[in-house]
Amino acid sequence: MTIHVYAGLKDYFQPEFELTEEVGNIDQLKACLLAINDQAAKLLAACRFAVADGFIDSTYKFKAHEIVIVVPPSSGG
Amino acid sequence: MDRPIDLVGLLAAGHHPAAGAVVLFSGEVRERNNGREVAFLEYEAHVPLAEKMIGEILAEAKERWNLSVSIAQHRVGRVEIGETAVVVITASPHRGEAYAASRHIIDRIKHEAPIWKCEHYQDGTKEWGNNCNCQAVTGDAAKHIYE
Repeated sequence: MTIHVYAGLKDYFQPEFELTEEVGNIDQLKACLLAINDQAAKLLAACRFAVADGFIDSTYKFKAHEIVIVVPPSSGG
Repeated sequence: MDRPIDLVGLLAAGHHPAAGAVVLFSGEVRERNNGREVAFLEYEAHVPLAEKMIGEILAEAKERWNLSVSIAQHRVGRVEIGETAVVVITASPHRGEAYAASRHIIDRIKHEAPIWKCEHYQDGTKEWGNNCNCQAVTGDAAKHIYE
């Protein structure tokens, strides 16, 4: 699984990195990310998640080799 | 888009024979924010998702307010003081719908589109800022409270 992070999340993670662990859903992904850097906990709690087809929710099951986008709260405009 | 927005050119695209009102909103970079001197802003976006989402927002607004025209563009990259960061143009038979739709579109873009602002200050520091914090109230990062 490839993870892409943006904006303030780049203070805690590389912009793009690979996860080798088996990750089935968003909750498991959050746990993996917190294991890498638990200082991102507050920001991660406010993040949305997306794959190529768009935003996903907690019921989504990740596919093998999926690219996952971790989307911090928006601050456009 | 990563180049200055052509407001005049876009406004020309807002004219429509069925529209008696055209509203143009330009969100611009100001020189002070929260008492700090701003040097410039830098916007980052997940462009494919942002374009898809803005397209859906425009389509929803066009349907809801029966707009003749709905246009929005947002800058990415470095945006200087006084430049346009985001523009929304709405056109409708009467002004009420054009104003309401414009407000709705810019609110949704600010809250929902995967676009992020980094403020660079005159003192050399920078800060990712002014994030949507609706999740603290709604408990769901996908649910928002609009102004």
